[in-house]
Amino acid sequence: MHPAGLAVAGTPRQPSKRRTPVSQPGMADPHQLFDDTSSAQSRGYGAQQAPGGLGYPAPSASPQAAFLADPVSNMAMAYGSSLAAQGKELVDKNIDRFIPVTKLKYYFAVDTMYVGKKLGLLFFPYLHQDWEVQYQQDTPVAPRFDINAPDLYIPAMAFITYVLVAGLALGTQDRFSPDLLGLQASSALAWLTLEVLAILLSLYLVTVNTDLTTIDLVAFLGYKYVGMIGGVLMGLLFGKIGYYLVLGWCCVSIFVFMIRTLRLKILAEAAAEGVPVRGARNQLRMYLTMAVAAAQPLLMYWLTFHLVR
Amino acid sequence: MAFTLYSLLQAALLCVNAIAVLHEERFHKNLAGGADQGIGGFREEPGIKSQLMNLIRSVGTVMRVPLIIINSIAIVLLLLFG
Repeated sequence: MHPAGLAVAGTPRQPSKRRTPVSQPGMADPHQLFDDTSSAQSRGYGAQQAPGGLGYPAPSASPQAAFLADPVSNMAMAYGSSLAAQGKELVDKNIDRFIPVTKLKYYFAVDTMYVGKKLGLLFFPYLHQDWEVQYQQDTPVAPRFDINAPDLYIPAMAFITYVLVAGLALGTQDRFSPDLLGLQASSALAWLTLEVLAILLSLYLVTVNTDLTTIDLVAFLGYKYVGMIGGVLMGLLFGKIGYYLVLGWCCVSIFVFMIRTLRLKILAEAAAEGVPVRGARNQLRMYLTMAVAAAQPLLMYWLTFHLVR
Repeated sequence: MAFTLYSLLQAALLCVNAIAVLHEERFHKNLAGGADQGIGGFREEPGIKSQLMNLIRSVGTVMRVPLIIINSIAIVLLLLFG
C-alpha cells in the first residue's frame, strides 16, 4: 500500500514542475527562474513519506519489519542516514566551486512556447526584427521571457538527438555497431570544444570587450545541431536530393541567425561606447563574426555527409 | 572520422609543449612590438602581435610545472600501454 502511495505521489511532481510555467501567462517574477511548486507538493509527499520512515520504502513483509525493529540495526540505520545527510550538505556547499550550478540554471529556464518559437527562429530567421536581449536590472532576462536569450536546453537535446539520428542513419545502411554511437558523440563534442577554444582565442587576440560568456558561446554553437538533424532526417526519407536541399536551407538560416546574433554581441560594443572607432578594428571584428558564422555551415556539412549515402 | 576527444587532448598537450619550448629572444628580433618593450603608449588596442606575445609568455610561465607532471605521466603511460 505504502510503496504504491509513494510512487503515485512521486511521479506527478516532475511533469507539473514544467507544466505550471506555461499555464501562468506573462511575467510573474522575472527574477525567479522556476515557479515554486515545493509547498503544494511537499505536504502531500511528506505525509506519504512519514509512515515509511527515513525515506526508505516502507517494508510491507513481516521479516523486514522484524529486522528493522531490532535496536542495533535501528541505530545503524540512524547513523547511516545522518552520514548521508552530512555528505549531501558537503556536496551542496562545494558543488558551486566546480560546476556553476546557479549560472547553468538560468540557461535551462525554458518552457514549451520558447522552445517552439526558438526552433522556428532557427529555421526561418529572416522576418525577426528585434534581436536584442532584454535586461532586468543588469541581469539578462530568463529565456522563458525573451526569445533572443540563449539557452542550453535546445543545444543539449539537439546534440543527443543528433547522436541517435546518426545511429539510425548508420543502421539503415547496415553500418551500425554500438561503439559507433560513442564515436559520433565524441567526435561532435571534440569539434564543439575546438570551435569554442578557437573563438575564445580569437576574441582574446582581437581584444573585444563583450559580455559573451563561454556558456553563451556554447549555447550559440550548439544551435547548428538542429539543422543537422533536419538534414539527416530528410536525407533518410528522400535520399541525397532531400538532404542537400534541407541542409542548404538550414545552413543559410544558421548563417543569418549567427550573424544577426553575434553582431549585437561583438560589434555593438564598439558602436555603443561612443568612441570614434577606427575602420581597421571594426573591420577585424566584422571578419571575426563572418568567420564564426561561416564555420557553422562547414561543420554542419562535415559532421553529416558521411551519414547520408 | 576518428576525431575523438582523446585525440583533441593529445593535440592540446603537444601544442602546449610547443608553446613552452619557444625561445623568446629569437621572437623579439622577428616581431617589432615585442612584449618586453611594453605596450606602445596607452592606445586603445594593444594590437594582435603584442597580445599573442603576452599569451605565449603567460602560457609558458603558468604551464611549466604542470607540463612536467603531465608529460611524465604521458611518457609512463605510453611506455606501458603503447
